[in-house]
Amino acid sequence: MVGNAEIRFGRNRESKQSDEFEGGLWFVRHFFEESSEEKPLPIWAPDTKRAARARALQGSQPQSLEEDVLRENTSWAAEEAQGNESLEHAFFSLDYQHVQVPFEITLWIMLASLAKIGFHLYNKLPSVVPESCLLVFVGLIMGGIIYGLNNKSPPVMDSDIFFLYLLPPIVLDAGYFMPSRPFFENIGTILLYAVVGTIWNVFGIGFSLYGICQVESFHLQDVSLLHNLLFGSLIAAVDPVAVLAVFEEIHVNEKLRILVFGESLLNDAVTVVLYKLFRSFCEMPAIKTVDVFAGVGKFFVVGIGGFLVGLTFGMIAAFTTRFTKNIRVIEPLFVFLYSYLCYLTAEMFHLSGIVAIIACAMGMKRYVEANISLKSHTTVKYFMKMWSSVSDTLIFIFLGVSTIGENHEWNWPYICFTVIFCLIWRALGVLVLTFFVNRFHINTVTSKDQFIIAYGGLRGAMCFSLVFLLPDFHRKQLFTAATTVVILFTVFVQGMTIHPLVDLLDVKKKRESAPTVGEQIHIRFLDHLLAGIEDISGHWGQYYWKDKLEYFNSNYLQKILLREYDQPKSSIVLLYEKLERKHAIELAEAGQLGHAPSHPSLLNSHRTVIADRKSEDILNPDVLKNIQEILARSLYRIRRTVPAYNRHTLPGETEPTEQAKEILILQHRSLWTEISESDTFSSRKESQKADSYSAQGDSSPKPKLCRSLTVENAEKAQELKHNRSKSVCVISPLQPSGTAWVNKKETEELTPDI
Amino acid sequence: MGSRASTLLRDEEIEEIKKETGFSHSQITRLYSRFTSLDKGENGTLSREDFQRIPELAINPLGDRIINAFFPEGEDQVNFRGFMRTLAHFRPIEDNEKSKDQNGPEPLNSRSNKLHFAFRLYDLDKDDKISRDELLQVLRMMVGVNISDEQLGSIADRTIQEADQDGDSAISFAEFVKLRC
Repeated sequence: MVGNAEIRFGRNRESKQSDEFEGGLWFVRHFFEESSEEKPLPIWAPDTKRAARARALQGSQPQSLEEDVLRENTSWAAEEAQGNESLEHAFFSLDYQHVQVPFEITLWIMLASLAKIGFHLYNKLPSVVPESCLLVFVGLIMGGIIYGLNNKSPPVMDSDIFFLYLLPPIVLDAGYFMPSRPFFENIGTILLYAVVGTIWNVFGIGFSLYGICQVESFHLQDVSLLHNLLFGSLIAAVDPVAVLAVFEEIHVNEKLRILVFGESLLNDAVTVVLYKLFRSFCEMPAIKTVDVFAGVGKFFVVGIGGFLVGLTFGMIAAFTTRFTKNIRVIEPLFVFLYSYLCYLTAEMFHLSGIVAIIACAMGMKRYVEANISLKSHTTVKYFMKMWSSVSDTLIFIFLGVSTIGENHEWNWPYICFTVIFCLIWRALGVLVLTFFVNRFHINTVTSKDQFIIAYGGLRGAMCFSLVFLLPDFHRKQLFTAATTVVILFTVFVQGMTIHPLVDLLDVKKKRESAPTVGEQIHIRFLDHLLAGIEDISGHWGQYYWKDKLEYFNSNYLQKILLREYDQPKSSIVLLYEKLERKHAIELAEAGQLGHAPSHPSLLNSHRTVIADRKSEDILNPDVLKNIQEILARSLYRIRRTVPAYNRHTLPGETEPTEQAKEILILQHRSLWTEISESDTFSSRKESQKADSYSAQGDSSPKPKLCRSLTVENAEKAQELKHNRSKSVCVISPLQPSGTAWVNKKETEELTPDI
Repeated sequence: MGSRASTLLRDEEIEEIKKETGFSHSQITRLYSRFTSLDKGENGTLSREDFQRIPELAINPLGDRIINAFFPEGEDQVNFRGFMRTLAHFRPIEDNEKSKDQNGPEPLNSRSNKLHFAFRLYDLDKDDKISRDELLQVLRMMVGVNISDEQLGSIADRTIQEADQDGDSAISFAEFVKLRC
């Protein structure tokens, strides 16, 4: 107890010299930069002996550490007697400092999460106002409260916190759940937008702002070209956090989403290089062309280096999970540890951490998912979603908090022109680049898509942190103000209006009459057909490099990185196996294959009904509207190439999987119906024959169909089904005497499995 | 990999396929490597199980029908020529083909042939008419279990009524073409 008190006391003392007790935000002060030098009295200090002592000490100016320590020790020793007495009598005591740091961190996270619950309670709210706006709003309120209470600027978010703690979970989540197929199909376009587009934006904004600075009435002459370019480099970067948050609400097609999203992730490399380049140029007395070339070379180093670091860590992670068979409980930990290490390593070498973590996640995903157990897999996914959600919320709240304050210089012309130029240059960049892209691709990027890409270029917390990393020079506050306004503008104005604008654009194209029922059905039919043909022709396999990679993968990587060759079965395959077992048991119990179809057979009976129907019924517009609604609701969607990325739910819980399961069940039923009909037919024909093998011969196409419908390439599962179904098909048409045998055989074969 | 596949496909075969289907040389070789990767039994033909092994096809509502379309009447195996012939229907129509060779046989990927292919997927009994039952079957495959039979019946009736012009309560190929317009 004594030792503890001393240690605690010592810690409080040290920290008191660098920071202050200030309201309830001691944590905030400790981690965040101070923006002014005042040291007010704490508003809330719990009434303990130690706090009282702290308050007393606060007024004094400690001359040196030793004097203070001596003084403290003596006074503490003197008080100890008293202290001991009071402690003996107190049953409850409040000791806030002990838990202050974790307590406040948790409180902030709790606030963020409660805010999130609050938004989703009102169903209409997230569709009108995107979540990010609401969170910034909450942050603004909090900032206002803190400002009002303390009468000084609230703490500004420390860039280290953002880059080291808040950003990695979000990027990891994005990289892990990134649908790799559309990503790689569009990688050329994405890279073009990310690299060339960002450079275009940076120089465009930088130069035009420099032009504005030349205008004398704005009093901005002292902002040099280099400063403007530096500012341009940090404001041009599209922010993945903000983009993700807003694109959740609007439903655009996969390709578009992956374009904007991929671009926002990959432009980190360019941003990092340009920012560091211009910053070092600012500090250098003279700039030579060699330096410029060094900058260009640096870009390649940063991008490719980050990618390689990521891949290395991904492979190591995959390799590690190969051996975790006996300690399944900590498997998820490896995923997170390796990803975070990868990010930190890349940052250590000044490479692009975001590119690294994405490469790591995408590289290790396949092998890790094959190696770890199903439960660990779910855990990994859930934790990732959770952490990224928390990070995301915290970022927006802190953004709001940091906006209020006195560290801004509000030079309105500069700020307005910044906003305008951001919009203009982005639009121009997208237009020009899309023009080039469309010449090489069949699937063009339509003008609606272009609008969304241009308008969806949101800036967010990344710009904010970069601005605070700037070296202190006399115009820094101008830049912070401009950055703040741009971010708030993009988040609020663009975030809120993008949904209505998208709908407006859609409406404009839908002026044609609604398709008739027949057309609707037929269009969907053709879509399914095309999707099927695409899958058969191996549309994905059309790239030479992808084929090569697959070859490399199957021959080398899988052998090293995968534990065994058992592929984990998806839920659909498990479902199918369960269905098969159930059916086999039912058949065994019923003793025959005359399984009544669960929905009425469509092959008969309705033929005569048509002639009697009156056409007036069908022309009824109410009936028609009803039909349209039914169709719109119930027609199966075309298979998506991969499940869509969603912030709030895991892939696999969403509609497409349910749809797939339904389709499988339906096909399964119709299969058994066919089998039962053909088999009863054949058994009627051949009931005289005792030879079971001829029955097998006749129904042989059916077992092959039974064998079908595996979803993964699980050869074992396939063979198992084949054996089971074939045996069932063969045995059942036998005479009743065979059924006893069937019963015994099936049940003993099946009970161990179940 | 790629080279191994093309040595099994002789050049004159590639030429024949090219003439028949209109695919380019590189497309044919790529499709051949796809064919061989699907052909697990390595006997130069594909059976129905080989198709059913494609995961996405299993959860396509029309999966079985599409697979059946590849197999000629009554057969269980399809060779590479047949595979290509079916796939040729889906080649995009290129502008430069329209002016060529008006006298020759219609190319496989003409609009009319594409529509014929789709029509054959509906019309199981091959009587050149889509009857109400066939339509019901397709609808049932496409909408699943959420719709009752009566509703489905009325949808089918509505469809036939919209498209049917000669009053036989079935959709013939000509009416089918007009439906898609």
